Amino acid sequence: MIDFDEEIARFQPSLEVEEIEDAIVKADLTDMTDIMIQMMKGLKEE
Amino acid sequence: MDYMKRNRQIANSLYNLGLEKAKLRDLTGAISCLKKSLRFDKYQMDARNLLGLVFYEMGETAHALTQWVISMNLKPTDNLADSYLEEIQRKPGQLEQESQMLKTYNQALWQIQNDNEDLAVFQLTKVVDANPRFVKAHILLALIYMSNEDYVKAGKYLYRVLQVDKNNPKAQRYMSIVKQNTGREEVEKKKLKNAFSHRQMEDDDIIVPPEYKENTRWGSILNIIAGFIIGMLVIFFLVMPANSKSLNTAHNQELIQYSQKINDLNQQLTTKTEEYDSLKIQSDQMTEELSTIDAAHQAQLQQYQTVIQLIQAYQGEDLMTTVQLYTTLDISLISDQSVLDIVNAITQEMTTNGYQALEELGTSAWNGGNLEQAVAYYEKSLEIKPDNPGVMYLLGRVYQQMENEEQASLWFGKLIEEYPDSRQAGQARTAMGGA
Repeated sequence: MIDFDEEIARFQPSLEVEEIEDAIVKADLTDMTDIMIQMMKGLKEE
Repeated sequence: MDYMKRNRQIANSLYNLGLEKAKLRDLTGAISCLKKSLRFDKYQMDARNLLGLVFYEMGETAHALTQWVISMNLKPTDNLADSYLEEIQRKPGQLEQESQMLKTYNQALWQIQNDNEDLAVFQLTKVVDANPRFVKAHILLALIYMSNEDYVKAGKYLYRVLQVDKNNPKAQRYMSIVKQNTGREEVEKKKLKNAFSHRQMEDDDIIVPPEYKENTRWGSILNIIAGFIIGMLVIFFLVMPANSKSLNTAHNQELIQYSQKINDLNQQLTTKTEEYDSLKIQSDQMTEELSTIDAAHQAQLQQYQTVIQLIQAYQGEDLMTTVQLYTTLDISLISDQSVLDIVNAITQEMTTNGYQALEELGTSAWNGGNLEQAVAYYEKSLEIKPDNPGVMYLLGRVYQQMENEEQASLWFGKLIEEYPDSRQAGQARTAMGGA
């Protein structure tokens, strides 16, 4: 059986249209290439 | 750089996998692949645009818009996201409606987390009716029904979710619980078992066609009877209820019409009754007026008769009768001028001689023992000739004899006051003193 309260607590509010701008600003767009470039820079500096 | 190329290749592979999953309606799996693809190459526009499309398909409009806007920022020209954004903004009111739905879902979630289940169900039902693809709303609604042990309804909403997103893990997990509680699981297991219980045919196997049997006479009769019974049952259970319902509806309609007619007639009756009452009141008033007029006419007629008798008596020089009739005459009821002239002439005569006749009549009545009549004559005599102390004295005396001391004192007093030096005043004083 499922625990109703536990299940309900897992539900998160859906992103609203008014919050899109904030979501875009906070979006983490870092990809693997960015990480690797960062790592390469770090290695060169060392 | 080689690693950049490698990253793009991995991103492309993940995008292809995500696309395959999206085509198979495994939207949750597609989201996972596409997000991973973007982790390897954020410029993989197809993956980002498809991710937005998948979000939009699941009812997550805000997430979809976010991805498409980012996509447009990263690649402003020749981008499919542009057409998606244009499509959403093209229809007036669509974005507002979808925004409102997201808000309602969030409100419903807040309500359910604060133990206001009924309102949450109401809001979620509205949301899923407006957007049958909103996966999260369906799942939440199904969960509420499951908590109320209404597994059939919960199953209905979960089924809708799995139509949109076949491998949604939450929906699948809930659906398995629903199936356990509705007995559906057992049915499916049996079906699955039967599907794999058939053995493969071998070359030596022979398919024997089913034998055709000629119907015997008894068999035919039994078939006809069975057909008849089935027909009767169909009529009884299917046709009759439909007919009864139709008849009931028709009767109800008739009943409503009759009720309306009765209401109308009642209203008419009330109006007529009111009219009748009003007319009756008028009629009563008229009858009363008529009675009054009739009575007046009767009195008038009586006076005219008296006048005729009076004239006859006057012409016959029967003064006593004339005086007697004159006392009963009411001149105010006579309107005819010629009759009034005659009556005025008689009144003149009465003023001259009538008062004496009345005095005599009064005395005669007194002597006859009729005291009341005597009073009437004396008073009439005084009406014709008020300055007659002799009659005033006699009247006082009669009252005295009638033991009406008040009236007697009144008349004696009047006599003494008005004619103090007259003989009758002296007699009155004596009479009063004697009394």
